[in-house]
Amino acid sequence: MLWDNIDLLIAGLATGATYALVATGFTLLWQTSATVNFAQGDFVTLPAFAIIGLHAAGLPLPLALLGGLVIALIVLGAMFKLLLVDPMLSHGLLPLGIAAIALGVALQEGTKAVFGAEAFPFPSVAGGFDLGPLFVNWQDVLVLGAALIAVAALQMFLARTRTGRCMQATAQNPTVALILGIPVKRMVMLTFLLNASLVTLAAVLISPAILVKFDNGGSIGLSAFCAAIIGGFNQVRGAIAGGLLLGVLENFAATYGPDQYRAAVPMLLLIGFVLFRPQGLLGRATERAV
Amino acid sequence: MTILNGCSFDVARAAITTVIGPNGAGKSTTFKAIFGLLPLRAGCVMLDGQDVTGLTPLQLIARGLCYIPQGRNIFPELSVRENIELGGVALGRAAAMRARVDEALDRFPVLRQKAHAQASTLSGGQQKLLEISRGLIGRPRLMLIDEPSIGLSPLLVQEVFATLQDLREDGMSVLMVEQNARSALEMSDRAIVLEGGRTRLVGTARDILADPRVARLFLGAEIELDDTR
Repeated sequence: MLWDNIDLLIAGLATGATYALVATGFTLLWQTSATVNFAQGDFVTLPAFAIIGLHAAGLPLPLALLGGLVIALIVLGAMFKLLLVDPMLSHGLLPLGIAAIALGVALQEGTKAVFGAEAFPFPSVAGGFDLGPLFVNWQDVLVLGAALIAVAALQMFLARTRTGRCMQATAQNPTVALILGIPVKRMVMLTFLLNASLVTLAAVLISPAILVKFDNGGSIGLSAFCAAIIGGFNQVRGAIAGGLLLGVLENFAATYGPDQYRAAVPMLLLIGFVLFRPQGLLGRATERAV
Repeated sequence: MTILNGCSFDVARAAITTVIGPNGAGKSTTFKAIFGLLPLRAGCVMLDGQDVTGLTPLQLIARGLCYIPQGRNIFPELSVRENIELGGVALGRAAAMRARVDEALDRFPVLRQKAHAQASTLSGGQQKLLEISRGLIGRPRLMLIDEPSIGLSPLLVQEVFATLQDLREDGMSVLMVEQNARSALEMSDRAIVLEGGRTRLVGTARDILADPRVARLFLGAEIELDDTR
């Protein structure tokens, strides 16, 4: 019983860690450029298709992974910012959010048009090891390890390096950042590139478990969105905590409750938080002049 | 829209110059224009005989300018020390900056005490001191400070003003906008009266303070009623 629960916990943390990656990117975009990226889930699908596409075209896996990252950096990082966010941002948050929804639909339909509606397998690590009565998959270890290392590295980068601090400063108060001579525009672009890298890593980690399908983005995006709100929305640490919590709860709920309600967990959690702790796990209430 | 037209003045070295004027006179706009945040259609900004018109904030900081806008200008979730460090980000050389950060913290013991606390935990007055010390990291020759007293208790206003006077003793020039005109003029060397985007009066702070027209307009003197009837 205990070991079953530990097994569930590990699997839940692994799922949660990938949510945390996506939610972190989501939060970063919100902080530095007031972009609520409703296409974030579909951002995970694109590099997954890019990687299996390049791999199928004959590139060895490491090169295909690298190619997927480069495509994500160009399309989901630079082009997303320059061609969609920059022109739409001046029209307000809502038009930008709606444009992001449209982009999500375009990504879904675009990948469907090229790859069809079937689910493709994604390369993963085989085998595992015995831990007491448990059999632990190397793949789960890889997912959990890579996601946690990435999140920890990101935290270190933001907190300890000069560029990271400048990015935080840009997120917290762009006007003052500009006055101090911080290259605000470069910092914002860097955030978009960072987000593209995070969703690519999430794609590599989550795709073996859920397969690659054009409409995966909906549920991933929803989970990440909920994780970000649960965590506090304006806090990277909150997004990580929210992602892990959500992943674990989803797994436990799916085991001990009816499986078809698994997808309801994020929504229930979201409603609970909005009602009782709207500032989220680690967020702080922000003041607004009225 | 043209906001400033006919706005022209000099700022004396190692002195405090205060700009006063009614709301909408263009005081804050003047500062933003000097600091390269608003485009100038005509006219120029000279610093030590060099034309610095239209330079970016980064270039202006490198030339010894620093700008502290109105209101709260901190990074609330970074620590006090990190906030101050960001004042030197434009200048590079991390090692040299560390010494300057310590120097800034030594100048303000309140900040030293709270160096590792989140900046949002500082009181309003402490936040203003934080902004000033962050500005000092670049060793500015001229500090533009907009309404430093806004939202502060009278006691804290005195502390901020005293700090500016100390900095003047160290040879820094200050150009300040202040609503709190009387107490600002009392500690200033020179004064500029701005109205409708134009410089109306320029002189020593003492003269401006004594000018009856200024007193009537901005310093809250009683309007003389014509009751000869």
